[in-house]
Amino acid sequence: MNLNPLKRGESSATPAKFDRRAFIVEIRALIALAIIVIFFSLLSDKFLQYSNLVLMTRHVAMNAILAIGMLLVILNGGIDLSVGSIVGLSGVVAGYLMQGAPVPFTGHVAYPNIWAVLVISLIVGIFFGWLNGLLVAKLNIAPFIATLGMLYVARGFAKLITNGETFTKLAGEPTLGNTGFLTTFAAQPLGIPLPIWVMIAFAIVFSIILNRTAFGRWLYASGGNPRAAALTGVPVTKVNIRIYVLSGFCAAAVGVLFTADLHAAIPNMGEFSELNAIAAVVIGGTALSGGRGTVRGTLIGAFVIGFLVDGLVLIGVSVFWQETIKGAVIIVAVAVEEIQRILERRQKLKSAS
Amino acid sequence: MLRKYKVIAAAAVIALGLTGLAGCSSSDDAAAGGGTIAIITVDPANPYWKAEVDTAVATAAELGYETTVNAHGNDPAKQTQFIDAAISAGVKAIILDPAGADESVGAVQKATDAGIPVFLVNAEISAQGVAKAQIVSNNAQGATLGAQTWVEAMGGKGEYVELFGNPTDNNAKVRADAYHAVIDQIPGFKLLQKETANWDRAQGKAKMELMLQAHPNLKGVIAGNDEMALGAIEALRAAGKLDKVKVLGFDGNDDAVAAVIAGEMVATVLQPIVDGTKAAVNQAHAFLTDGTMPASEKQAIDCILITKENAGGLKGFVLS
Repeated sequence: MNLNPLKRGESSATPAKFDRRAFIVEIRALIALAIIVIFFSLLSDKFLQYSNLVLMTRHVAMNAILAIGMLLVILNGGIDLSVGSIVGLSGVVAGYLMQGAPVPFTGHVAYPNIWAVLVISLIVGIFFGWLNGLLVAKLNIAPFIATLGMLYVARGFAKLITNGETFTKLAGEPTLGNTGFLTTFAAQPLGIPLPIWVMIAFAIVFSIILNRTAFGRWLYASGGNPRAAALTGVPVTKVNIRIYVLSGFCAAAVGVLFTADLHAAIPNMGEFSELNAIAAVVIGGTALSGGRGTVRGTLIGAFVIGFLVDGLVLIGVSVFWQETIKGAVIIVAVAVEEIQRILERRQKLKSAS
Repeated sequence: MLRKYKVIAAAAVIALGLTGLAGCSSSDDAAAGGGTIAIITVDPANPYWKAEVDTAVATAAELGYETTVNAHGNDPAKQTQFIDAAISAGVKAIILDPAGADESVGAVQKATDAGIPVFLVNAEISAQGVAKAQIVSNNAQGATLGAQTWVEAMGGKGEYVELFGNPTDNNAKVRADAYHAVIDQIPGFKLLQKETANWDRAQGKAKMELMLQAHPNLKGVIAGNDEMALGAIEALRAAGKLDKVKVLGFDGNDDAVAAVIAGEMVATVLQPIVDGTKAAVNQAHAFLTDGTMPASEKQAIDCILITKENAGGLKGFVLS
């Protein structure tokens, strides 16, 4: 843990002991991923086909983007249960704006162009994330409760906006100047679907934020020991609000991508995806107590979950087993780490005595 | 921040205006002696149940009743709460879309014991003589019609996959059984894979994408409802296989109708939810007026096959 957060430009190297543990955990997640890949490629010759790898990675990308936002929150010892609902809400807002939004009191209908649609949808996610942050950081509400409440509030708004409809007119019209939503946000630059590019971009940007900025050092410090961090001058409240804002932003980005991918904005979109995001973060070796975890590990965690789920469908395992196996893998992945920690502690005690 | 708040507030105001704020009732236009009818549905965010709610509210209003609307989301515990609330509010009758056949018997019994007549729409309960009426659409008959049309479109043979509804929902099984009763007796058909997508469009798309990887040459898809079928269509569109694969849906929602007209879906089956709900409210009114019991408790309303020929006349679950 770095307790000297105020000096910028300082080397981000942390004590060797911490690096080693993070390294071991990541290696373990990588081994799990390798086992999954080998297992399914033996059972299905389709698994390693290029088109299938791209498809599965696209599925992974949605969860990975959410998980990166979740990582920031969990690094600070928090949790964000509202991201799935924010996915739905932002997607619905995007869909709503593409249908044409009546401007209150004027009788006009606004057809914003797709970049305005994107920005407004992202702002909605940021706003709800900001509310989460205020509730947690200013009012001291437990993150679990605050974001659980927001889970219902955001989903409720999504349903209010759609009023039971599904928005499917997303193509826009040339005369209204709002075309391109589907072609842009469901595009495939260089043959790779946009969500994968966004995942890569987010992973790079957030790695830099965590490892190379003062905010990143503040986050690791305040997640490891908030009181100590506050005493050394870390703006703990600011950090706490900012992580929920970023998590809301990630969720909103997924909402827009999801809507474009599905060619429809559905209020139930993203239901339960917060749980998959948490699972990816945890499998990636992040401590739920905060202070320890990396973007790289989280990405690996997202691939473990995604490849496992898709692989089971590909080889045709019954749906009940799919859920059971997924749950078991999450538990085993975390249990192995805890068991190792217990063993380490025993060893230390022995050598001490 | 104020501006962001305004965006949300504006969205909320618009949305509230559109919904007419379910749950509140307008006492002005209620005729004398009407009283309140409690409408308990599954999930009005789904167009199908929204049609159910809208029909019930409108029909009740025409007959001079006020209404309250609640949604249990297939959670029996919530359903019991809403029934309790309706009993203590002293409503005249309850229109209920039950949350599970076995789970709902107790809740309906409770209301009946309290002297409040319950009329079930869309789904049944596993006991008779508790509710005044159980009005359901004939899922098996509808699925048979759909399967026959799909078999024809497939040319009487081919490899296909199945998207199954929520496995704990009885309708998923009833529809699948009726599909297979038609398809399985024809030797040319082969079921490659069966996946559940929980009635959901996003899951339908994800599962279909994977099944297309596993079986690139599949020729048909049968889906337990329209949402899953529409998800499959999106997957097929992205894979450029829309013209080679025949998709069958069920429910008759507006997006599915558009897909049928566009030739992307072979057929869907209209559940007469509007007719069924109207019947339930009318029977409740007859019972409340002079004690007229429905002719029979269990009433099955036949489903209507929707193909390119008649799809144009279907909107909001009403075929004109």
